[in-house]
Amino acid sequence: MSTLESLMTSPMYSSALLAGLAVVTMCGVLSVFVVVKRLGFVGQGVSHSAFGGVGVASLLAVMLPAAFAPHDGGGGMGELLQFGVIVVFCIATALGMGLMSNRRTLPADTSIGMFLVGSMALGAVLVHVSREMARSRGQSSLVQSWESILFGSIFLVTRDEMYGGWVIAALVLGVAWWFRRPLLFWVLDEESSSAFGVPAGAMKGTLMVMLAVAVVVAMKLAGVVLATALLVMPGAIALRLTQRLWPSVAISVMAGIIGLIGGLLLSLRLDWPPGPSVVLTLTVIFALASCIVWMSTRWARPALVGEPVR
Amino acid sequence: MTQAAVEIDSISYTYPGSSSPALDRVSLRVEDGERLGILGPNGGGKSTLLKIILGLVSPTSGRVVIFGRSPEEARREGIIGYVAQKTEIETGLPMSVQEAVTLGAAWRVSPWRATPRSVRDHVKRVLALVGCEAYAARPIGRLSGGQLQRALIARALAADVKILALDEPMVGIDASGQERFAELLEGVHRELKLTTLIVSHDLRAIVAGSDRVACLARRLHSHTSPEGLTPQILAELFTHDVAGLKGSLRGMHVHAHGPGEPCGEVHDGEEVSGEVQLGMPSRPAQEKPRVNP
Repeated sequence: MSTLESLMTSPMYSSALLAGLAVVTMCGVLSVFVVVKRLGFVGQGVSHSAFGGVGVASLLAVMLPAAFAPHDGGGGMGELLQFGVIVVFCIATALGMGLMSNRRTLPADTSIGMFLVGSMALGAVLVHVSREMARSRGQSSLVQSWESILFGSIFLVTRDEMYGGWVIAALVLGVAWWFRRPLLFWVLDEESSSAFGVPAGAMKGTLMVMLAVAVVVAMKLAGVVLATALLVMPGAIALRLTQRLWPSVAISVMAGIIGLIGGLLLSLRLDWPPGPSVVLTLTVIFALASCIVWMSTRWARPALVGEPVR
Repeated sequence: MTQAAVEIDSISYTYPGSSSPALDRVSLRVEDGERLGILGPNGGGKSTLLKIILGLVSPTSGRVVIFGRSPEEARREGIIGYVAQKTEIETGLPMSVQEAVTLGAAWRVSPWRATPRSVRDHVKRVLALVGCEAYAARPIGRLSGGQLQRALIARALAADVKILALDEPMVGIDASGQERFAELLEGVHRELKLTTLIVSHDLRAIVAGSDRVACLARRLHSHTSPEGLTPQILAELFTHDVAGLKGSLRGMHVHAHGPGEPCGEVHDGEEVSGEVQLGMPSRPAQEKPRVNP
């Protein structure tokens, strides 16, 4: 219990917990749509394209050291600016992938794959170039380490970043709520939505931007490699357990929250890295949900939250 | 003269990169409440014409007016309810039939408001009309093909539409299903008095729910009433179908000689046999409202 207490009360851990809650709430809502629309690979593409954003940010940091310099007490404008560059880069990539896969000549997975490797290559080259430039100018490297980008660093989240995370989550959830009906129409029936007057292109773009923002924020928690898990696993768990719309969104968010708290507790108790611990917990929840469904169908009992009884 | 539901004035359309037009100076007038079947071979420009009416494609030349509006305006206002040929819905989306049908009208409701009572009542009425009540609570991804099509017709009718447009509605429906589908269309028309457009290469679909038939193969070859297409002609056309043309009516020429006159000329001398009569509609002639252009 002491681990749970310290997670709640210690300022550092509680920032991590609250920031994580913002991430899993936002991702949990989007997750249902990611799973239904098979956008998991898009999430993967967007998160990996963050390397390109890191490359651009580190080049800018060398060229404009004043703007990117960390302020007293760490974080501050430099971090924020760097985060902004990564967000813009990821959104641009997401929209690019969306536009390219629109064309019948290029399958979606090919276009996503090209953006993924293209921006990773760009990131690697730009980080190298900026390090060389920094060395020749006698500056220190100003950009965060690869490891924290790869696997996240939730326990290093500051209070301000946590508030920022909630603002972003509130914005994304607000947009999702505002467009819920046309968005659902588009998700259900992309082909004929425009014949009904639904702004199909705008809905696709909105979902892509929300996805990109969610992935970038999720990277703070789980890193590039595992960010997609937060957009895929909660929805997958929810759709195992229910075939109803709003219950599935609620279960998805709840699965995310349980995965987050369980993962952070594991991480504190056993000194495991937090991001992978959260993802592992979600994997276990998915396995449990699958087991429950398998057993309930095997013994011909209704699923936990199955079809509504008429 | 009253306002036409759809007025098509000499439209042509050429796909980018194509040398020959997909549609060549087509003119049509559909009266309010009339049911027009657009019959033609695959690649005859039927779907293109429907896309133009729906405001998804602009004609290369010519003009389309829908209840006094441009097709784009009509689409924005939701005047046309559309049922696509390929019912490729996202079956994984956890959504009940009723929720999906409600979205057909409710997606225009302001985000601040809950779905209004009037919309919910109308949806209930429409679900009953197309016979979806029994599975209204079922997830839409778990319907059979025929049930899904009914649900999508209900969705098209959920908004306060003036026109119902159906693209190839009979594809993939078995013989008994087709009869029930024809009854369904009759019921919908009797209840809602909508202008109906049915686009198909399948004669059975056209005859099942049309007052008038337009034969389209790039150019408009004729528009005539189903009485104009005599049982003889229909049966012969159906023989073509069975004879392995798989619904393609390529080579068919039906010429209207005037309203009410028997007309038609089919370049195939096959005889009518008893079994093809199965595809014939059994609608008494006096029930059909006559609308002549």
